[in-house]
Amino acid sequence: MADTVAQHVVEIGYGGNERLVMNMGPQHPSAHGVFRAILTLEGETVVAVDAVIGYLHRCHEKLAETLTYVQYPSIASKTDYVSAMTAELTYVSAVEKVGKIDVPRRAQYLRVLAAELQRVASHCLWLGTWCMDMGGALGGGATVFLYAIRERELILDLFEALTGARLLYGFHQVGGVRYDLPAGWTEQCRQTLNLIEQRLREYEAMLEDNPFFLVRTQGVGVISRELALDVGVCGPLIRGSGIDYDVRRAEPYSSYGEFTFKVPVETAGDCHARYRVRMVEFRESIAIARQALDGLPEGPISSRPGVKSVGQVRVPKGEGYARVEGARGELGCYLVADGGAKPYRLKWRGASFCNLAVLPHIIPGHKIADVVAIMGSVDPVFGEVDR
Amino acid sequence: MSPEPTSFLGETWQLVVAVRRAMGVTLRNLFRRPVTVQYPTVKRVYPDRFRGILALVYEKDTGEEACIGCRLCELICPPQVIKVEMLKAEKRNYAKTFTLELYSCEFCELCVQVCPTDAIIMLKTFDLATSDRREMLLDKDRLHALGLAHEPSWATGNRLRDMQAPPKAARAEGKGEAKAESKAEAKEPAE
Amino acid sequence: MPPILYHAIAAFVVLNVVIGLVTYVTLLERKFAARMQSRIGPYYVGWPHGWLQPIADALKLMMKEDIVPNHADRWVYNLAPLVFLVPCMLIFATIPFAPGLGVADLNIGVLFFLAVSSLEIVGLFMGGWGSHNKYALLSAMRAVNQIIAYDLPFVFVALIPVVLAGSLQMSAIVAAQSGLFGWYVFYPVLGQLAFVAFLVATLAAENRVPFDILEAESELVAGFRVEYSGMKFALIQLAEYAHMIGTSFLGALLFLGGWLGPGPEWLGPLWFLLKAMFVFLVVTWVRWSFVRIRVDQILAISWKLLLPISLVLLLATAFVVAYRSAGVA
Repeated sequence: MADTVAQHVVEIGYGGNERLVMNMGPQHPSAHGVFRAILTLEGETVVAVDAVIGYLHRCHEKLAETLTYVQYPSIASKTDYVSAMTAELTYVSAVEKVGKIDVPRRAQYLRVLAAELQRVASHCLWLGTWCMDMGGALGGGATVFLYAIRERELILDLFEALTGARLLYGFHQVGGVRYDLPAGWTEQCRQTLNLIEQRLREYEAMLEDNPFFLVRTQGVGVISRELALDVGVCGPLIRGSGIDYDVRRAEPYSSYGEFTFKVPVETAGDCHARYRVRMVEFRESIAIARQALDGLPEGPISSRPGVKSVGQVRVPKGEGYARVEGARGELGCYLVADGGAKPYRLKWRGASFCNLAVLPHIIPGHKIADVVAIMGSVDPVFGEVDR
Repeated sequence: MSPEPTSFLGETWQLVVAVRRAMGVTLRNLFRRPVTVQYPTVKRVYPDRFRGILALVYEKDTGEEACIGCRLCELICPPQVIKVEMLKAEKRNYAKTFTLELYSCEFCELCVQVCPTDAIIMLKTFDLATSDRREMLLDKDRLHALGLAHEPSWATGNRLRDMQAPPKAARAEGKGEAKAESKAEAKEPAE
Repeated sequence: MPPILYHAIAAFVVLNVVIGLVTYVTLLERKFAARMQSRIGPYYVGWPHGWLQPIADALKLMMKEDIVPNHADRWVYNLAPLVFLVPCMLIFATIPFAPGLGVADLNIGVLFFLAVSSLEIVGLFMGGWGSHNKYALLSAMRAVNQIIAYDLPFVFVALIPVVLAGSLQMSAIVAAQSGLFGWYVFYPVLGQLAFVAFLVATLAAENRVPFDILEAESELVAGFRVEYSGMKFALIQLAEYAHMIGTSFLGALLFLGGWLGPGPEWLGPLWFLLKAMFVFLVVTWVRWSFVRIRVDQILAISWKLLLPISLVLLLATAFVVAYRSAGVA
């Protein structure tokens, strides 16, 4: 069905009029995952872009229908695998919303702490890979990449001490969280946050006001306010285009209402604005994490007993949608429950899936080098695009 | 951010300043210690809760196999890599066969979580690279051998469930302290 | 000994030394870059510190299968590495490593160097064209634009020490820099500006970040080299690094006083090598600190910034020299 349409458009060859159809294929050093962009070029300028996704489809939504509510949270982390805590949080929030399950306050604070630390780690990865796309694996980009990964590893060490895993955690369960803080963790966390805040200044010294960087990012990939609202992008993309929208503010979940933080908004709409938004988000996440550590209440970490059997959690009939401000935008999970131990239907709303829809509008007119800059600033993760 | 310079010399000076700043950062990092951990000569210290490869253990007091073949781990495993057959005996049950396909394991620790006798645990090592995939199909003997050979992680079924258990409302006042004590015992020693 | 035999032996020795130097310069760059990135770099091959890594790389490349893409233009594709390599090796013919020690110390040495080194663009374009690959083609197009745009300021900046010394012969330029602080990089204002402009022009003529748009791995996956593997790739790598070293030597010779340095005369080549490595390391330091810029911005920098600056500097140097000689005579 889509094939005939695709065959009509995709002729890898010379499209007449000196136009060249070039494939930035799924295997590409800067594809950010597996993403195929079929570019139509006139010289160096991109005239049209045809995006092909689906190379990472792993049938998450069908899988969720076969796994129970206690089994799926560790699978949920594989949708947005770079920012796994927020992905799991989306799923368990949906289950708790439909099943009207309370979450104790300590668990809520721990969830906030984990989500904000994860946001810092995810933005570290974003910065590193974006600069590497723009600067080359054999060049200054790789330097920023390795610095950012060095910092990300510190946060992953924290998560490893907390849960035992570094990338896909299984930290959340329906009703709370699975792991409590081990001894000495708060101290290690505070030191890590201080160190990362210091190192952020180094990254800004390398990039801010750097004419090479500015000339690559200013005026590139401008998403106007109207376009952002029309297409429905989310996350740093919409905040970089002048719209003050953050799910943590709009619909506070998991006790976010008790934290004070700024939501950065920039009006320029170009790659540089999105970069500024994310750099401020770094600092705000560190501030929220510190507030969570300071105000962490005592109490149980789960309102339901720990998992003892596979059919333990049963959710009565109902539907609900829970959304979470992930590192890439609004990650949502629509759950239809039928009273059993497994969902009847689960739908993931991937933040990157909606963000990628803006590419055919903003890429034409730019050069090839801008394509990678724009892709990096959109920051897609194909786990949540293809699910 | 500094205001945008408009003159040719102003722009050139901004370029010089920015170049000097960025190259200064790189130069500073030149003299820092590298963060490389040179595995395998140097091994990093793994935290207590590290989720490594799986193993079966023996009971501490009797020395018998701890696994009672109840198949709870088989039922909960999301990728269904565990297969257990129960062997009924007089006092307690055993596992006749216990296979775990480590090449498909997700290391989610759910099997450890549900085990009622703390029989299956995860170890503080992940190092099981082989050149033959069949060596990663662990049977019961192999799992027991692994359990004896390597250091176990902190997490066992009962410890995890104790950590996650909400205090019962009826016992909140009186036995609150006792619960806090048992929770403190269940937590691993300070690092 | 007939002079032709002397020159042949000298050429053979110089080529081998250059190839050996090039392979080990790759190791130097990798270790230097690694330390700037908080990591170690090659370590295990030739433990410790990767001393045998370049040998291992060379052996690996020699043992690889020679692949020619199906629709590639065979003659163009196969000859491109050679056409790319020969000028990059030929530039070493005119560099004297010590007074009287060199293959051919031509009295138009600098002119020969600049002219021959700009022939490499032909090999580059042949590689991009013959590969029958859109990425390679785009890269070749960008390369032609960029290298032509940057060869001009490169020539003008290289002419500044020539004007100051009054000769195109390389040994004469070095001899004119003798004395304490006689090196042209210490020449008030003009020397420093010219050296900086030389470094920028080198970066661009060598396709180094921030001007490496033609091999931008994140977009064009190795650019014109994308279809080459095995020994042909080794030749291309060799040519690139040889050109890099060659311009480092030229920079050391023109601005940093060549073989002049404290100590006995036979230490001259060692000082020369150290200075060339210094220039190379500065270029590498810049390479590993910045993101790259787009090709139209690269061309804008060349035509609108670097070319006017280099012309102004050359004119200023000419005025200064004329003023001085008018004052003396």
